[in-house]
Amino acid sequence: MDTLLATAHALAWAVHLGGALTMHWVLRYAQREMPGSQVGIVCKRSGGRYRWFALVALGVVGVTGVLMLATTSDTEFAARPGSPSLSLADSYGRTMLALSVTWVMLVVAVAAMAFWLHPAQSKRSRPNMTHEQIQAERQRIGQAIQRMDRVLRFELIAGLGAVAIGASLHQGGLF
Amino acid sequence: MPQDLDVWLHVMYGFLHDVGIAVYIGGAISMEFVLGPAQASIPPAQAQVMGQKTADRFLWFVWGSLTLIIVTGILRLEKIGHMDWAYPFFNDTMKLSSDYGRTVWTMFLLWSVLVVNGLIITFVLRPRLQGRLGSGVGATHVAAAQGTKMRAATWVQRITRADLVIAVTIALLGASLKWGGAL
Repeated sequence: MDTLLATAHALAWAVHLGGALTMHWVLRYAQREMPGSQVGIVCKRSGGRYRWFALVALGVVGVTGVLMLATTSDTEFAARPGSPSLSLADSYGRTMLALSVTWVMLVVAVAAMAFWLHPAQSKRSRPNMTHEQIQAERQRIGQAIQRMDRVLRFELIAGLGAVAIGASLHQGGLF
Repeated sequence: MPQDLDVWLHVMYGFLHDVGIAVYIGGAISMEFVLGPAQASIPPAQAQVMGQKTADRFLWFVWGSLTLIIVTGILRLEKIGHMDWAYPFFNDTMKLSSDYGRTVWTMFLLWSVLVVNGLIITFVLRPRLQGRLGSGVGATHVAAAQGTKMRAATWVQRITRADLVIAVTIALLGASLKWGGAL
């Protein structure tokens, strides 16, 4: 059971971080060679799907993380390097808090992309739009894309940070 | 903050190992279940360009992560005392008679399968997919070349899916090492 929980936890982190890296460095690279209209379609399809993968993965990370903590006995904690304890007076506890905060920030970032930034990139055009309205619409989409880029970069850095913080827990914590 | 350099090395090896696994498994899942369907939604000519570009870049990720996984895996085994840099290199815990040893060696065997599959995709199947026809070729030749490409694409897909199952198995075995191994 412990092995299955740890595997699910690791796989969920892998799906989230590997997905973010692939979207950033593989998809973006391929898009440079594609015509603008196709970039829009690919962005919409892949972005829409990826958000759900990322949200589910982060959900699994949260659930399995809590279960792993709940099933770890005091004896197991004591047997680990540095005999860590889950309190803010101990480096392990502070690091766990930092990891939890990072996880919450990631959930907020991915949820913002799924429910706000990604839908905001859809073009809302009507046949009777004036030139100014068309310009304003283009500007709005441009801003939405910029915001999405910033959040994507944050997601990538926070994801890498979370894995580093998590790796330090085996050695008693980082902070 | 840890003061000991040894602890920092442990953390760094663990971090890089986890990133390698994340890139391999998470990347493969994204390529299969996110970029694949997105590629199917655009015209075939563009889809081919996109497929070629994403596969080219992803192959670099695959080789980088496979290298990172084995190098940091060995360094971690040495750090936790299962290996030495001097002959006979492996300690008793790494013998096939122990659960830990059997699990680690199985993981290494499965990693080798991933490397062989990666070599097949990189040096056999990808060149077949990229092959271009000259201007004066006949219809029979074009049909034969298309057939070869279709077969190569099917094999790439089969191998990629098998690799994903193998990588998840390795992750499962790796997670079990904390409790002494699964085999």
